Amino acid sequence: MNKSSIAIVAVLALAGGFAMSWIISSGKPIELEAGTWFGDQARALPEYELLDHNNQTLSRASLHGKWNLIFFGYTHCPDICPSSLQTLSDMVAVIEDPDVADALRVYFVSVDPERDKPEVLASYVGYFNPAFTGATAQMDKLKPLTRSLGIAHGIRNRVEGNPVYDVDHSAAIVLVNPKGEYAGLFGAPHDAVAMARDMTRIVEHN
Amino acid sequence: MQRFFLLLVLLLPATGFAQLEFSDAWIKNLPAAVPVRAGYLTIHNPRSRAVSIVALHSEAFASVEIHQTRMQDGMMRMDPVPNMTIAPGATVHLAPGGLHLMLMQPAQPTRPGEVRRITIEFDDGSMQTLELTVRK
Ligand SMILES: [Cu+2]
Repeated sequence: MNKSSIAIVAVLALAGGFAMSWIISSGKPIELEAGTWFGDQARALPEYELLDHNNQTLSRASLHGKWNLIFFGYTHCPDICPSSLQTLSDMVAVIEDPDVADALRVYFVSVDPERDKPEVLASYVGYFNPAFTGATAQMDKLKPLTRSLGIAHGIRNRVEGNPVYDVDHSAAIVLVNPKGEYAGLFGAPHDAVAMARDMTRIVEHN
Repeated sequence: MQRFFLLLVLLLPATGFAQLEFSDAWIKNLPAAVPVRAGYLTIHNPRSRAVSIVALHSEAFASVEIHQTRMQDGMMRMDPVPNMTIAPGATVHLAPGGLHLMLMQPAQPTRPGEVRRITIEFDDGSMQTLELTVRK
């Protein structure tokens, strides 16, 4: 190999290295086992204002600086919501790297604001994990957020004066990145171990 | 003749109507602020004919129904399953994300390790009582 071809190889290797690191920094090569990574399709959330289980405002800015996993449901849901929150709690327990665990926040947003007052949400999310945050808002404030995330929900069999009714809702888990952008989605059924691997991959690559 | 008839009546439950077999029966615990629980179990029908569940009762809950969670229009919804039928020789799993016992308004708060009893009434008029253990 002559000097010029060595130089070409060196330049190519260097360029390849740059390309590789550029791809990694833009998040493109992440393949998730349990969900979909939006890569450079990540988009900003609209402004919103929810009330969390400590009666504090939860806004778009509250999510900045952490990787946020958000599940939408309601406390009177006996099957899907407890299973999903248990999975999220198990996922946190399975993550081995404390820096990864520290970079994550888990939110339960109720789409049943009439029954899910902050004190109910506090005991509910605290049951699964004391670090989880519960939040909700009146429907007119909630809808713009869920609509922008593509999270479907609705109330069924509602009879005036009867506290028993059904709440249908998406079982997907939304991922919001530290810039407050919608960055990925985990569809049901959820797997704690696969999600833990995915979140470790995401946090370590970014 | 009368004695023979009595003997036949006594033998019937043991032969034609073997008991349904329940296993892995449990209740997912939730905090007291939530007035519903889900119960899960496996039911096996060893009989040579199908059997339907027509009613469920419990002193521990205001009402007990069988529900099914399913996905429709991108949403999870729950619907009652009245008269759930178990085919001859079949095994039905009530498990998270699918069929479950919908246990409404617990009479007492539930705690892991406790047991709750539910009586199941079948279409042939027979009844069986089931014990479910509350789990974390
Ligand atoms: Cu149900």
